[in-house]
Order: sequence, then C-alpha cells, then structure tokens
Amino acid sequence: MAVDLGVVAQALFEGVMAPLILGGPVRPGHAIGARVALTLGDGERTGIDPDLDVDVQRARVRRARRLAPIDTLATATPAEWTLAAAFHDLLMAANPTFDAALRRSAAVRILGLAREAIERVPEPANVLEALSRHTWFARVLDVARTDTTVSWWTGSRTYLGVEAPRRLRAWPELRRVNVVATPHPLLELGPLAVDRARLTDAVARLLTRTPLTELATCTREAPPFVWGEATLALVATRPGRTLALRALARLPSGEVDAALGRATRELLATRQASGAPAVTLLAERAVAKAEGHIARAEEASASRPDAAFARGLGAVAAVLLLEAPGAAWTEDDRRRLLVALDPAARSPAALEATAMLGAPA
Amino acid sequence: MLVPRPVLERIALHQTRLHTPGLGLDAKGVAIGAKGLVLLPSIDRLVALLAVYTRERSLEDLMPSLAMRVVKSKLGTREITLEFAAESSDRMDRLAETARLVGGFTFTGTARHFVQYRDAGAPFGYDATELLATDAALALYHDRFSQTYDVERTIELRPLVLRLMPHVDPATKLEPGMRIVVAEQGLGPALVHYFVRSRVDGEVGVAEWPPESAFDEAPVRRWIFRIPELPDRMRALIHGTPGITAFVPAGPGVAVEAGHRHPVELRACPIFDAAGMVLVRGRGQEPWTLPRLPPMGALTAFARVEMRTTGAESSTASGTAQPEVVRVPLRVSPSTAPWKNVTATWVEPAQVPLLRRLAYALPHATIAQARVAMTTRGAFVRCSAGIEAIPLGTFYVEIHPNLYVPAGHEVTPAVAPEVLARALGAPASQVLFLGTDARALAVEEAAFAPLETALLEAPPWEPLVADAIERGLEEAVLDLKVTPIGLLPLRGVDPPPKMEA
Repeated sequence: MAVDLGVVAQALFEGVMAPLILGGPVRPGHAIGARVALTLGDGERTGIDPDLDVDVQRARVRRARRLAPIDTLATATPAEWTLAAAFHDLLMAANPTFDAALRRSAAVRILGLAREAIERVPEPANVLEALSRHTWFARVLDVARTDTTVSWWTGSRTYLGVEAPRRLRAWPELRRVNVVATPHPLLELGPLAVDRARLTDAVARLLTRTPLTELATCTREAPPFVWGEATLALVATRPGRTLALRALARLPSGEVDAALGRATRELLATRQASGAPAVTLLAERAVAKAEGHIARAEEASASRPDAAFARGLGAVAAVLLLEAPGAAWTEDDRRRLLVALDPAARSPAALEATAMLGAPA
Repeated sequence: MLVPRPVLERIALHQTRLHTPGLGLDAKGVAIGAKGLVLLPSIDRLVALLAVYTRERSLEDLMPSLAMRVVKSKLGTREITLEFAAESSDRMDRLAETARLVGGFTFTGTARHFVQYRDAGAPFGYDATELLATDAALALYHDRFSQTYDVERTIELRPLVLRLMPHVDPATKLEPGMRIVVAEQGLGPALVHYFVRSRVDGEVGVAEWPPESAFDEAPVRRWIFRIPELPDRMRALIHGTPGITAFVPAGPGVAVEAGHRHPVELRACPIFDAAGMVLVRGRGQEPWTLPRLPPMGALTAFARVEMRTTGAESSTASGTAQPEVVRVPLRVSPSTAPWKNVTATWVEPAQVPLLRRLAYALPHATIAQARVAMTTRGAFVRCSAGIEAIPLGTFYVEIHPNLYVPAGHEVTPAVAPEVLARALGAPASQVLFLGTDARALAVEEAAFAPLETALLEAPPWEPLVADAIERGLEEAVLDLKVTPIGLLPLRGVDPPPKMEA
C-alpha cells in the first residue's frame, strides 16, 4: 500500500522533529521504516504548519549561534529527514507497549531497520552540514519519558509516558493519593522490548552521523564517546575544531577531559595514525586553558586518570605547537604559555602520552 | 536840652531796695518790671526786629500786650517804641538780644519810668537812683542817656505788615505745594476750561472788590483758584500771563505773590483770619483782602457746557447682537530672544530607540525628575529642572502651564500666554505642544509617567524583542509520550532498497 510521504513527514515533523528543537512532548507515531525514511527528504514537503516551521527555524539559528555567528540555516536536508525518521523509529522501538508476547519482534525489527537507515546516511560533508545536523539532534539524549506512579489507599499503579487518569487522583486526601512522576532518559527506559545494548548502539550510530553533536555530548554516560571517522574529520578542519572547542567549552571541563582522555587513549592504542586531529584538539584545548579561556577542572575530576591523560597529552602537544617554527604567538605569549603548560607537560600522564605518541620526551 | 546823665546803679546780688517804681527782682534776682520796652530809631529797625524775631518765634505770645508807638522827644526826634509784657527775664533776654542785633535799646519798667535792662555789664540789671520829674508819657533811663518821650501815634501790626512790600525772590515760584491763582474777570472762564481740559484738580470761586475808580460802577470781579498741585509745565504760563497772579500760601489766611517773599515771617504773625485770605502782592501793589473766602466749587463743575442744537434728541438702537469673531491665523515664527525655561522635548519615533539607550547614561537626578509619555507621534519628555541633559528631539519652552512652544520660536500675534491657552481651548488635563506649523499636539497629563518607571518597564519599549528572547532562551523539557502502536505496527515498515553494486 502506498504511503503518503506528506502525511508521514507532517507527523514526523510535528511529533518528533519540532519537539527536538522547541521542547515539549515528543509523540512518535506509526513506525516509518527505512525505505520511507530514505525517501522522506526527496522533494519539497508541504502540509507542514508554516508557523511551526518558522519557530523551528528560528530556534535552530539560535542554537547554531551558540557556536558560530550564523544568520540562516537551510531547511531539513534529505539526510536530516532520514536521520529524524530513524530516530523516530528508535523512539518507537522503545515503546513499552512492545514489551509483550508476540510484539517484541516487531520492536526488534523496527530498531533494526532504523539502524539500517542510519547506516545509509552519509557523514556530513562539511562543517556547515555538521552544524546543521547538530541543530536538529543536539538534544536527542535529553529525551526522557515521565513515568507516573499513583498510589492510593488500596494499591498503586504506574503509567508509563502517559498521564494518570483523573479518577485515580480524585479525593487525594481521603484516598491518600500519592503521585510520583519520574523522568527516565531514553537509554534508561524500561521495560524495553529490545536489547538495551542494541538501543544504545543505535543511538551511538545516530550520533556518528552528527559528529558535532557527538562532541557536544561527549560527557554522556552512554553511549560512551569514542573518536569516530566523522568526529576526527570534523576536528581535522580549522572551522570544525573551532566549533568543537566552543561546544566543549560549554561542558564541565573535568568531565570533558575525562571523556576525551579515555577516547584518545583508546584511539592512540588502536589507530594511532588517525589520532592527529584528536591530539591537535587536545593541544589547542590545553593552550586555551593556559590562556584562561577555559575554566580549570574541579579537584575531584582533575585526579581522574583519563582526565590527566588528556591534559598531559594536550600539554605535550601544545608545547610542540608552541615550539614549532612559524607559530602564531608572540615571543612573550609563547614563553608565558610554556611556563603555564610545563607542569602538565612533565606529569606522568604526559610521559605516558609521549610514549604513546612515540615522540622524544 | 539834654539833662545831665542820672546815675544808674548796677543792681548787686541780693540787693532788695530799688528806687525805680514798678521795678522788682524776679526769681533769678534780675531787675524786671511789668513791661518791656524796645527803643528803635526807625520803622526799618522795627521791621528788622520783627523779621528777626519771627524767624524763630511766633508773635502770638506778645500779641495780647504788644504795642508799637511812634514817640517824640522834647528835642523833636522821633523814635519807635515796642512795648510788651515782660512776663519773665527769659522773654526779656530774647527780645533784648534781638533788639541789640537791630540797634535798639531794651528797657524795663511798669508805668512811665523804664530803666535799662540788664546786659553783660550788669547781669542783674540797673536801677535809677534819681527819677526825672516830668509829665512825659515815657521816661527812659540808659547808662548813656536819659530821655523823656511823648507818644505821637500808635502803629498797628497788621497795617504795618500789609504795608510792607515783599522782596523779589524768584525761587518762590518753584516751591511745591498749594497755589492760589487769581485771574481777572475775562480770564477766569478760560482758565477754568484750561484746567479742566488739562485734568488739573482744584477749586474755584469768584470774589468781588469795590470799583477801583469812581468811573467804574460795577465791582471788580476776580476768579480765585485753589490748586493743590500745579503742574510744572503750567508754572510759566500762570506766572507770566498778565491778568493771572499766583500766590504762595505763607500762613493761615495769607499768601504772598509768587516770586516775592515778605520780610516778616507771616506764619509767625497771628494777625490774619484763617477764614479769609490776604493776598500780598508785589511791585508795590496793595494786597487783596478777602474777609471771607468765597464759596469754592470743583473745577469740573465749571466745565464748559455746550448744548447740541441740531439733530434728534437721541438715536435709539434697534437691536443688539454678538460681535463677529475676528480670527487671526496663529503663526509660530523664529525668534532671536534667548531660550528660557526649556523644560520639554519631543522625540520622534525614529529616535525613540536612541532615547532608550541614552537614558541609561543619564544621571539619576535627571531620570528621577523627568517624565515621559509614549505616543504614536513619539515620546514627549518633560523635566521641570531643564531638559538640556537629554539632547534629543525638538526642545520646547513652557510659556503657560501645560502649554509648550518650540524653543527659539515665538507665537504671532503676540498675545498673552493666557489668551493663547484660552483660545486653544484645551482641557486642563491636556498638555499642548505647538509645532512650528502652528498645529497643536495634545497629550493627556495622565499619560506622563516618571522616566525611571518607564525604563524599567521593558514591554512598552520593545515588546516583540523581549518576548522573542524569552521564547528563544527557554528550553522546554523533552517529554517522550507513549503512543499507541496500533494493531499492525509493522505496516509500511520496510527495509531500505538494496544498494547497487
């Protein structure tokens, strides 16, 4: 049966894409599937509320302006439509209604097809596309379902993602009604009809298609941040590295160091040849800290090994940058920065990093 | 034939026995009789004595006993005696000093024998040791002579004063104050109308004198004017017109012709009836005497009355109506007068954002005193302490409460601000701003709010921006809702097409 792409796009836009930008209730509809997801972006989609579209565009520009001085953004590209549809199916797969006999397989299939659709989306070709995708999916990890537990004098009941009936909340004093609303992040939802690891992996795959978002959320607990091809490609460019540094500056410094340190250690251990962009990012981050552009890490997080590794590696790389011929700093600034970086550059973590880099101490 | 000088003995202190009859000692021990007598050689010296005495004192005390006589001695010499009641040695001393000044001799006595009054050589006076045996009316004993006199005739003071000719003194014409103007019969009416026309206050009456000669039958009629304040511009006319004589009051009931001064201080001579008037003329003319002042009437009562002889008695109005309104276009034109009281400004809409930014740089005192009203025509800012601190917009000057005109301009026609405000006819609750095109903008007084308050209330300034910023910055929570999956959740959920090799 032919699917009306306009209807699907309208429901996707109003139920998932607009709330991701503007906030509010996220209402995934019927599963879309990979085939439809890959065609949603073809042609111009009509039927979308123009006022809502304007609000969404305005909010996207505001989000982009947190990282870059930009005035306009193009409407959703085909890749963004596909990613949004895949995220929609991903949310649908986490619907607790699937957690029943004879239905779990449907959730598994929906999640599988969402992953396939994600795999079909290419990585962003330039920094602007990465920024555009980031404006759509910057809050994917903020999605949470509110589960409401209503207890009364004779029992209790939990409502997942829906509001408890009013009748159960009636006469609260007489019936000793107690309502507890608990938000659960996306990757902590339960019950799940799918394997949580597969769900997490699907989210991770989605994040790989929006590298700026992956870097901007690197302090997340799950999925853990790893340097991927897209993120490395982003920070390998000067503009991309700038956007990344600005995004990282909005996060707690210590947690960023820990996340980057862990990921970089893993990267250097497995793919050292591809680690240069990551090292450069850490070096520029170290220089920014030495110049006071980034706040110092808290004492507790500063002692974490991964964070120390990131700072040490960054300091060592920064020293190399500062000592490289043709450096952009003045002699006084260079000397001052070297003095500021010296303690971190001589730390044990820095030595470890140096060894991993194969550079002379 | 001179009698050998009798012996006058100086009266010594505590001397009690005196030979001169009627001579006694007063409390001071000064020999004094009941009368005092001043012997003067001539009428001139008498006049001089009166002139000198009346400069400082009035003759009122002396008048009851004053007697002036022409006396003649046995040798035929005539002299003047001035006799008065001695009363006290103080009076005698005053008159003795005055007599000494004018060359007279002072004596004291009671009946016929008068001895020399005291002087520096005899502080207590003199006493005649031997009296002359004579039947003469007076026997005067002096240390240099003794003489007997018979009275030839009496001199009355009033005739003497009136016969004295005033001296010329042009300065009296310039003295301020009342004037008595006497005009001859032919000039009286004209002078009345002249005064009336010139709005000079005064009174006028008519007096009659007997014919000056036997050939005249009718009495001489003269107009008597009493002018309290004669204008300076009229003095020359009044003083120089023949037939008009101006007199300066010299005392109750007496006036002296302007330009003259009487040798005796007439004010000190109580010889004139205050109910009448004696007009002392100069140039040797006899005084005009009015035993009783004529009935005086206000000058305006004697204004010329003319009767209209032609035409109807009156022309009666056939109807009344409101006068037509005379409309003059109001103009506001530039003025070179310095700016004063610049207490308002009109900021046009395009400059309102600049005003908002400028307001944050203003001192607190200016913000606290300024009041602003936001309208569709812009912002109107008023500050009673002066608006110079807000250099925006068109400055206005308050010419009347709640009425402003552009600074450096004036309203023509130059009516009073109250008249302009009334003509504009705006209610008291409206504040009017006149533009250079003479069109008025009215702003409700209640629309003006303190600038401080207006600055804190963001919506009236830029509501759209504030709202958009608020919406943009807020991030609502992403709340995943559980939606129905339907009976066929996999309907239409298809895998992606196979990729071409």
